[in-house]
Amino acid sequence: MIGVELSKLFRRPRTWTTIAVLNALPVLVAVLVRLTDLAPRPGEGPPFLSAVLTNGALYPLAALAIVLPLFLPIAVAVVAGDSVAGEAQAGTLRYLLARPAGRTRLLVAKLVSVVAFVLVTVLVVAAVGYLTGTTVFDVQPAAGTSVSGTSLTQEELVGRTLLAIGYVTVSMLGVAAFGLFFSTLTDSPLAAALGALAVLVASSLLFTLDAASPIAPYLPTRYWLAFVDLFRDPVLWRDLTRGLALQGVYVGVLLAAAWANFTTKDVTS
Amino acid sequence: MSARAHGVWWRWGAVGALVAVLAALPAIVGALPASDAAVPAADLRDAAVGSADVGFSGYAVSAGGLRLPVTQQLTEAADLFSDRTTMRVWWRGADDHRVDVLGAAGETGVHRDAGGTWTWDYESSVAARGEPASLALPSPPDLLPSSLGRRLLSEATGGELTRIGARRVAGRDALGLRLVPAEPGSSVDRVDVWVDRATGLPLQVEVVAAGARQPALDTRFLDLDLGVPPASVVAFTPPADARIVPAPDPLSAALDSGRSSPAVQLPAALAGLPRRPLEGVPPAVGVYGRGVTQLAVVPVSPGNTSGLRRALHAAPGSVVGPAGVRLAAGPLAVMLVETPDLRAFLLAGTVTLDAVAEAGNGIWRLRPS
Repeated sequence: MIGVELSKLFRRPRTWTTIAVLNALPVLVAVLVRLTDLAPRPGEGPPFLSAVLTNGALYPLAALAIVLPLFLPIAVAVVAGDSVAGEAQAGTLRYLLARPAGRTRLLVAKLVSVVAFVLVTVLVVAAVGYLTGTTVFDVQPAAGTSVSGTSLTQEELVGRTLLAIGYVTVSMLGVAAFGLFFSTLTDSPLAAALGALAVLVASSLLFTLDAASPIAPYLPTRYWLAFVDLFRDPVLWRDLTRGLALQGVYVGVLLAAAWANFTTKDVTS
Repeated sequence: MSARAHGVWWRWGAVGALVAVLAALPAIVGALPASDAAVPAADLRDAAVGSADVGFSGYAVSAGGLRLPVTQQLTEAADLFSDRTTMRVWWRGADDHRVDVLGAAGETGVHRDAGGTWTWDYESSVAARGEPASLALPSPPDLLPSSLGRRLLSEATGGELTRIGARRVAGRDALGLRLVPAEPGSSVDRVDVWVDRATGLPLQVEVVAAGARQPALDTRFLDLDLGVPPASVVAFTPPADARIVPAPDPLSAALDSGRSSPAVQLPAALAGLPRRPLEGVPPAVGVYGRGVTQLAVVPVSPGNTSGLRRALHAAPGSVVGPAGVRLAAGPLAVMLVETPDLRAFLLAGTVTLDAVAEAGNGIWRLRPS
């Protein structure tokens, strides 16, 4: 069943269109920064964008930072929201459930396909970012500079970039879990995706309020940008481990809720 | 109840139980009691003041509620007291430590060695070298609970200190010490310092202004590892592509102004606060008071006077008097005094508005000697 779901997801033109659109923004930003030579001022703009002017090999990180706050979660919410509700809206859900595999296995298969979409999307953004960065900007062949001002070897830079890709992927799993849960509540994929986005917008807004600081550590978007901590020296694991744990809690709770709802609901479409 | 309804209740009950357990965990961890000890206040103060050589590394956060009027030269110092500052620290000693101020997209690291400080700013790729100074604006290391706690307790008398129980800070038992300043002109209601029971290291400092309920400044460790960190982590060598500059010193203009201005003999006391001896500063610069009640007097160069005057006049709550304009931001009082012979002085300190006005009048009446 997992293979069927993966095949269905990646055969859809809209999946690749989404990924292509997602990459358009970082490419546009790279071209504009190169043409104008205007990097963001300190304290403004996405992480690493000012550093790519001297080392284009860092552009995968800048590209991830560009899409992470909005574009990437929108794409994940749309795909996750469509996973079950899309089948219901198209009238194919009851036929899927007619197979002997059962609802829990269908839910797991949908989850795996959403996770695969997240992973492929993040990898493509990083790969396109690398190609863009090394094409548009100068590259330091031997090493890079950490956020703390120490030297990083090429191996360290590659290793930490791979860890950052993994961390961003995990960070998106919470969005996917919200989308999947809402997708089991409604027959409208749009409503499910908007529900997940509403949670993220609320989380981002609350994170900026001092009055919400007591609940800030539990907001789903709280630790998204902690991948920057991988490039400090020594690596600051505090927020990274909390970010992974928080996403694990959200994924666990929301999948349990999705399972409780989906395995007991009346499926009529 | 049908089997289907039973299944619904069972499944949602399991989900609800999972959520309840997860939601209760932070409250349970936070409610872990701290172990108190019968340590007298004077002994706890001595332990805190003597903790400068305790090696540690940690993660600290400070939250300031002071809305300070700022000029372009003083923005960074003002931000320290008005924003939330997240810091990483590796401490080998008073002259050998590193404090990084973390930002979402970078960091600013202050590396202290025997000869001075390197300040590394990642986003602008600038490494600035500074020399130790007897009078300097606050910098991130000054906001660490350990440094601030030692500084605030260093001149506290026995009569100003009381014990206030214990709490857990950064996972460690911290003994509470309350400082209530004795000076009548002080704008600080109290300072609560929470001191590590085992090492004497201040782990949390809360400064509460007179008449306020919330701390004007709260700085605390969230993580702390005892043990001397490696020298390699603290040391700093500027990256090859970094721009190396001398560290900006916003006070240098004031000190230069003090040196070049007509000879001024500051009074021996202002607003009832005696003048403190300071080495390496011109006679026109003075610091008055003791402990947590201090007032600094600094001459302002003509080029900076109008900007400072505009910032103070524009700030809500500013009071204009014959000697100048004054303002209170939490426990901090600021006053710009412009004398009849067109000299200007900035007064800033932890005194009441009445006390700073009295001090301002004393400065306003000064004549070149």
